[in-house]
Amino acid sequence: MISSPSGFSRTQGRFFAFCVAPSLAVLALITLLPALYLLATSFTPLNLTRPETQWDFSQPLENYRQLLSDSRLHNSVWVQIKLSFWTVLLQLLIGLLLALLLNMRSRLLEALRTVFLIPMVLPPIVVAIIWKVIYTPDISPMHGIFRALGWNVPALITDPDWALTSIIIADTWEWFPFTMLMVLAALQMMPQELLDAAKVDGASPWQLTRYITLPFIQGVLLVAGLFRLIDSIKAFPLIFILTDGGPGNLTEVTNYYSFLQAFNFSYLGFSSAITVALLAATIALSWLIVRMVGWGVRVD
Amino acid sequence: MVGPNRRAILRGGAGAASLAAGVLPAPGLLAQAKSPYAGTTINASCFQTTYFEYLKNYFPQFEEKTGIKVAFTMQAFPVYNQRTDLELSTKGSSLDVINVTFIYSGRWIGAGWVTNLDPFTKDPKMTPADWDPEDFAGGPQSAMKNAKGETFGFSWEAGAMILGAARYDLIEKAGLGLPKTFDELIKVCDAVHNKEGVAAFTADKLHHWNWIPYLMGSGGAIFKAPPDNLTPTLATPQAAQSGEWYANLLMKYGPDGILSYSDDQSMRSQMSGRANIRTQAITWMVPLAKHAESTVQKTVRYGLMPAGPAGNFPGSNSHGLGIPAGSKKKEAAWEFIKWALSKETIAMVVKNHGYPSVCRLSIIKSPEFKDVLTLNGQDVASLFLEVLQLGGKTGYMKYRTVPVFPQVGDKINKAIERIATKQQAAPEAMKQAQAEAIQDLQKAGIKVDL
Repeated sequence: MISSPSGFSRTQGRFFAFCVAPSLAVLALITLLPALYLLATSFTPLNLTRPETQWDFSQPLENYRQLLSDSRLHNSVWVQIKLSFWTVLLQLLIGLLLALLLNMRSRLLEALRTVFLIPMVLPPIVVAIIWKVIYTPDISPMHGIFRALGWNVPALITDPDWALTSIIIADTWEWFPFTMLMVLAALQMMPQELLDAAKVDGASPWQLTRYITLPFIQGVLLVAGLFRLIDSIKAFPLIFILTDGGPGNLTEVTNYYSFLQAFNFSYLGFSSAITVALLAATIALSWLIVRMVGWGVRVD
Repeated sequence: MVGPNRRAILRGGAGAASLAAGVLPAPGLLAQAKSPYAGTTINASCFQTTYFEYLKNYFPQFEEKTGIKVAFTMQAFPVYNQRTDLELSTKGSSLDVINVTFIYSGRWIGAGWVTNLDPFTKDPKMTPADWDPEDFAGGPQSAMKNAKGETFGFSWEAGAMILGAARYDLIEKAGLGLPKTFDELIKVCDAVHNKEGVAAFTADKLHHWNWIPYLMGSGGAIFKAPPDNLTPTLATPQAAQSGEWYANLLMKYGPDGILSYSDDQSMRSQMSGRANIRTQAITWMVPLAKHAESTVQKTVRYGLMPAGPAGNFPGSNSHGLGIPAGSKKKEAAWEFIKWALSKETIAMVVKNHGYPSVCRLSIIKSPEFKDVLTLNGQDVASLFLEVLQLGGKTGYMKYRTVPVFPQVGDKINKAIERIATKQQAAPEAMKQAQAEAIQDLQKAGIKVDL
């Protein structure tokens, strides 16, 4: 006997749920539970040196009230916005341009693909140390060249006009290969017929890119941008090694400020509140971007 | 007649050796067999420091004597403090011996995260009389005690801030001597800055340690009356004036990029002859004369920290070995501390490596120590003792062991950076530091005078 289509769908749904259940259980255990604990902690004044504060819910919104009056936190949000905007923009632009270039058929370009991937596969701490050397005037080859040319370039990571830019440069160098790789993969899957048809219609290279290629890779660019945006909000090693948030608070992003509150000062409750707010902002921002940009053309 | 061949002799020798090993074990093996700790492994941790770098060479001696294996790890100073703070707060048992860091001592001891060592020292079965806990200098030990006078650590390092001029020859050439006052320091820096490509002054970015002697010398303070009244006193004219003076010292006379210098980078800038004067703990100064890579061994000279109009307040601190409250191997851990800080072990490290920052009075006063710390004909041992005594006399270092100092120290670092990079004028920067410090202290439940 053959079951009805709706019965089959239900059976299929139950089977899929059965298959996914173990993964969901693991995900709940390692992601959801800590997240719930984080949320609960954000309603307490948890301070590691005062154990009695651990489950003190007497003033649940106190940490959130303090978020509103903490000027250093507000400054860190502004720094975060600047860092995220510039790093995501530059990584998308450079990644896209290089992917378009590397999509051409040439042995040299194929070899270059691997070279361009190196920054991304290096451990983040190694990347930070490389840039620390580059930015430290007395041992830096870059400053050596500047001196040889007679240019007096200040130490970038301690110069208020350059500190954040120096982090943006290092972060862009580290992560543009990610966008490049994703776009390159999308380009290589693009149906050649689309381009051929447009060429027959007399489209110029610019028109091909503008009306065929870009709409085709729009979804990939969005995913890459979202990944990079979320990662930029988690920026840590470069700031920890290069500037320690300074000079002053010029490179202190929200994530780093939250780390200081938790691990240098033991204010875990307050730090949890910052993290919860940051998480909510990231989710809201991602949703907004997806709504505004859309996922692009889907070719089955 | 055919004599015994080579193989037969070797076989016989091996047999005799194994017999001897069975009947007459080596003294080390005998000691281990007797030790109740044989087969125990303890985990110890500290920040990166020369004392334990040197001491690690002698761990086999300890292991042979007690049968205890030591897994010792070292990390950079801030990393060590963060990790240990977290580990202690969980009362975990992954560490058996820790460094009780000076600026965290009040917090760790106050929170009950470290073991009281008095029961160990008072039990003659655990500690022989000649180990002598009273031999540790009182100043450094004060940070290892609670208000009741109970001891939670024994100090292995007494940091005493002195002045080191890596290129004293340049100062002499300018017809000057080592600066004894703040004004003289500026005069010397003016005279020697960028001579032969050498920056006149260098420092690391830990301003809440380096700047404070200059602040106190100018009549300022961090708190109103530590440890009883922790109201910050950063928004004062003295703090603003001194902050500006110090920021100027760094930016005008320091090497390019000085604001990002770690303590090691700063020492290297002196050792390589790229920077001249630094005021810092003696541990960072002795390598200028002793380190094989130092290019300034012959030209370095040492002096007391310069004095300000309000007096001389060289920084002094101490770090000690302690046992986490959560350790499950406390007795084995105590065996290690006893050995690592015994008179014999410290004397050996001083003699073989020239380690300068010891805390045992019997060693500080010994002729051997004086010999080791006579550098380029200068009696640096006396300078060391003088600073330790200055610190102990008036208790001006109490500001540093209060549990909330890490929070306030962070505000000071940021304020000095803002002044040095001209993001803010000094009064404004110190006012912001004061406001942020008060906000943080209130978060920690500390009452401040408003």
